[in-house]
Amino acid sequence: MHEASIVESLVELVQQNLEPGQRARRIEVRVGLLTGVSPDAMQFYFEMMREDTLGAQAELDIRLEPLRAECRNCQAVHEFSEIAWLCPVCGARGLNFQNGDELHLCNIEVEDGQDRNS
Amino acid sequence: MAKIVTLEQRILKKNSEVAAENRRCFDEHGAFVVSLASSPGSGKTSLLEVALGRLRQEVAVGVIEGDVQTDNDARRIEALGLPAVQVVTNGTCHLDAQMVQGALEHVPFGQVELLFIENVGNLVCPASYDLGEHLRVVVASVTEGEDKPLKYPAMFRRSHALVLNKIDLLPYLRYDMNAARAMALQVNPTLKIFETSCVTGEGVGEFCEWILEQMARNHAA
Repeated sequence: MHEASIVESLVELVQQNLEPGQRARRIEVRVGLLTGVSPDAMQFYFEMMREDTLGAQAELDIRLEPLRAECRNCQAVHEFSEIAWLCPVCGARGLNFQNGDELHLCNIEVEDGQDRNS
Repeated sequence: MAKIVTLEQRILKKNSEVAAENRRCFDEHGAFVVSLASSPGSGKTSLLEVALGRLRQEVAVGVIEGDVQTDNDARRIEALGLPAVQVVTNGTCHLDAQMVQGALEHVPFGQVELLFIENVGNLVCPASYDLGEHLRVVVASVTEGEDKPLKYPAMFRRSHALVLNKIDLLPYLRYDMNAARAMALQVNPTLKIFETSCVTGEGVGEFCEWILEQMARNHAA
């Protein structure tokens, strides 16, 4: 599954953005519904990989953005929580998606390595 | 003390950077690069064998083959007397830009103007990885049903062309070509669609002409 490769890339990217002595507590990512990437699989691989990389304290927070689409027929704009192909207003088949391809690292909550409150 | 560091970076940023390096390398060598993706068994390699037979009369061609195991596909291309480089991923389900970059030193660019990259058979994972190619082609055989684009939207959305392959089998199938085309265009209205058979050669000529046209447009740009 390519989620393993994606999580490897994510871990590398997080490590590159940590200053010496810093640890990642919470990592927020945004996954678009059109990417075909499974958040469950990402979580699974993250939990497998974190021990030897970012540490057991690191948590992955995956945000799935609703899909915004404009109907090619009637121009109505709607948000969908799953991939949809029909316009809910006019029923036409043909939606132009305005988002959905994201695979982004949004932010990292970091702490000092010396912080004893973890 | 905890603090939030805002990044807003693409997770596959590194792949994108290497893909851009690949593209620069292709442009420096004057090579036009076309990637082929599909599920396993759609006929990517067979399509290449037939298409290369025609294309080689117009331009110098070569192939980078990607597979989890074996060099069977590279051997098939080499048997045509054409340069082929095999990338064996040993388990990774897709090619990424770094794997392609690693193969580039083996590509005889002096003798290759049109380079194909045949991806690992997989409609899911390769969609996330830019390889640096100029053109992306997805192949779907008529034995796979009409609704592949709806099931794998990421792959069909990012492709420039769709080849509906194995049309010589249509008399034996309940396949609705109009429905297949409609579903593909629903997912990606800009898709250029070709119907081909590697057995009869039908449709391959049109596919080759289109590739050569795109190549000429790229060189003119």
